[in-house]
Amino acid sequence: MAKGWVRLAVLCVCVFLLTGCWDRRELEERTSVLAIAVDMVEGHEGLYRLTVQIPIPLKIAGSSGQGGGNADAVKIMSVTGRTILDANNNLQIRLNQKLFLGHTRVLAVSEEVARKGIRDIMDTFRREPQIRRLLWPIVVKGEAATLLRFKPQLGQIPVVFLMDLIENGAKMGTIPDQTLGDYFSQTSNKAMQPFLNYVEASTTEVRWRGVAVFSDHKMVGTLNAVQSWSFLQLRNEERGGDVIIPLPGTNNGYVTFRPHFVKTRLDLKRRKNKGPHAAMFSCELEGDIVEVTAVMKMPPEEFIRQMQRLIKKEMDKRAKKLFHQLQKEYNSDVLKLGLALRAHHYRDYWQKHDWKKDFKNFPIDVDYTIKIRRLGMEMQ
Amino acid sequence: MNRQGVSSRQQTFSMWQQTSLITSTLIGVGILTLPRTTSAVLYEAGWMSPVIGSVVALLSIWMIARLSQRFPGMTFVEYSAIVWGSPKYLRMGKWLSLPWILAYLSCMYLATGIVSRVFGEVVVTSVLLDTPLEVIIITMFVLVFILSLHDLDVVARINELLLPLILLPVLIIALASFQKAEWSNLLPLYRASLPSLFKGAFEAIYAFSGYEIMLIFFAYAHENESKVRAGVYGIAITMVIYTLIVVAGIAGFGYEELQRVAWPTLELVKTTKVPGLILERLESAFLAVWVTAVFTTVANAYYAFIYGLRQLFNRGIGFQRIISAIMFVPLYFITLWPQNVVDIFRFNFYFGVFSLVINLGIPFLYLTLLFIRDLGRKQKERNADG
Repeated sequence: MAKGWVRLAVLCVCVFLLTGCWDRRELEERTSVLAIAVDMVEGHEGLYRLTVQIPIPLKIAGSSGQGGGNADAVKIMSVTGRTILDANNNLQIRLNQKLFLGHTRVLAVSEEVARKGIRDIMDTFRREPQIRRLLWPIVVKGEAATLLRFKPQLGQIPVVFLMDLIENGAKMGTIPDQTLGDYFSQTSNKAMQPFLNYVEASTTEVRWRGVAVFSDHKMVGTLNAVQSWSFLQLRNEERGGDVIIPLPGTNNGYVTFRPHFVKTRLDLKRRKNKGPHAAMFSCELEGDIVEVTAVMKMPPEEFIRQMQRLIKKEMDKRAKKLFHQLQKEYNSDVLKLGLALRAHHYRDYWQKHDWKKDFKNFPIDVDYTIKIRRLGMEMQ
Repeated sequence: MNRQGVSSRQQTFSMWQQTSLITSTLIGVGILTLPRTTSAVLYEAGWMSPVIGSVVALLSIWMIARLSQRFPGMTFVEYSAIVWGSPKYLRMGKWLSLPWILAYLSCMYLATGIVSRVFGEVVVTSVLLDTPLEVIIITMFVLVFILSLHDLDVVARINELLLPLILLPVLIIALASFQKAEWSNLLPLYRASLPSLFKGAFEAIYAFSGYEIMLIFFAYAHENESKVRAGVYGIAITMVIYTLIVVAGIAGFGYEELQRVAWPTLELVKTTKVPGLILERLESAFLAVWVTAVFTTVANAYYAFIYGLRQLFNRGIGFQRIISAIMFVPLYFITLWPQNVVDIFRFNFYFGVFSLVINLGIPFLYLTLLFIRDLGRKQKERNADG
């Protein structure tokens, strides 16, 4: 009896486990999309143009002998559609294999589309299980498809080039590592607004231009590179790029300060526990002087003190300008101030105010502390 | 207590085996939705609900363990007759206890169905997009069927073996996702009202249900004294895991985003980068391991159900094997009853209420009954003495 059962069990196991995958699809049976670009179609209201970048494995150098070189290693295809999926389906009927979005790393959106609002585009990407939350959405100045078409001579696949650019920037602390998942959470969160990287592309080059500020799925403006670095220092404690300041009293002399460590504290104190709430960023930059292009005739101690004052003044000025832009021009709280207010002053502030309206006039101040540690290989 | 009617079988479950039985049954499909369901009413303080929910679960498992301690070596189905009747009036006790046993067994039966359906739904929506749901459910049933061909000690050993495989990935995911956490998302600590605190806790209580299998399995504990301890450990481990995953979810996404995603824990896995980049797409690995977590849940519940049936009819292992094959047929149709995802979550909710009533109600009722009868007996003895 027991033996019979064992036999039946073995049979069942064989029948059900030795069949392989139901929806098996080999790697070469799918068309992997590396990047997607979304543009408006001129003259057609409500139509999107979807451009995709598909790598051609055979043409990628190193994969099979002499394949690479001059030939394009990627194929660019463009289709139009009323929605993203409509365009996607239109693309599918032009392809021999099934489209696969699981390897998509970059989602480029043209500035025009971003300014119109990308809620409807994002819905597709939220629902699609293949889409990775770690891919990078990027706003492109001008046409988004140029970002896919550009030919970097330093690499074969444009998107890989772009990915490295962002990845290294994120590692150095100069470019925010803003992923799709971050964008999703930030748009859902009632206490903050999202931002995305903003790039410009030409036929041979791509360039990071700062960040695009959003308000409720709509792009409202941009921050240039210098402001983005201030923004990164205050929001993410990233170090940002080098600070280059003209030296006062010299003819065309500049000093360059490279921050290495950033510590930011946000205080939401009310004066004497009464009065209105106010935000105070205390940001401590620790770094080196890496360049002085004029001869400074002063003792080193004096030099460091003076430079610290100079840099502090410059950073304060930049931050003030950043606040002005965010509050008065864009009215978008990308600084996560609302989140901090909701977290720490829920009862005494958040419940009584409409943050979307009040952010504009919320007093924000900043206090930089500059600590110059070294002067490079020079003594002064 | 007398041990009349108890067949001579080994009581071999060690305390650790009991603990792993409880923990691996509790951790199942609930963990995928837990961050969403708990933060739906409690917002930032969603992590409180598994903590509060575990108190209710602890109370319930304590009662179950106490019951079992009074009748060592007997399962719920066996001692029900004694509780409701007496050794003298066993037949009456049997009939009186029948509704409770049936309610309990149907609870286990439905649990099997709902859990396998949610499991199939996750697999179909996120990994195997073209595979029919039926195939996934049937494969799971076949696995469970194979287990139900075996005796009790096999079940215990399987659970013991699989427990680390269930706990480790969840722990790793929760801890790894803390890298990108936004801690302000967890504040303010508390802003919901008191009723919503209970409502939120209920969501977690549902995620804790499943320990009622111990009404059957406690009977085979090696030591009578270890039962309460095993119960407490089992619930406590689950509580820690649940709280960690909810904290990770809220800190990583914020409660607003959590409300929008269907399977938050899966999304958490998707956003988590494990340092070293060995696995770029962690979710496939996670789901593969998660299958074992679901398997232990489904299999334990179904085994408890089948074993209860077997004892109800007082039959042997052969009966168990046949009936377990037969009972899959109606279960298959029950599993396919909900028509869409929204339906499933609603069914899930109703089932949660049902299982909560069973988990708290039955042990409480039985203990009260025993307490009253003890009082009565003491009274009688005193009367006889005086």
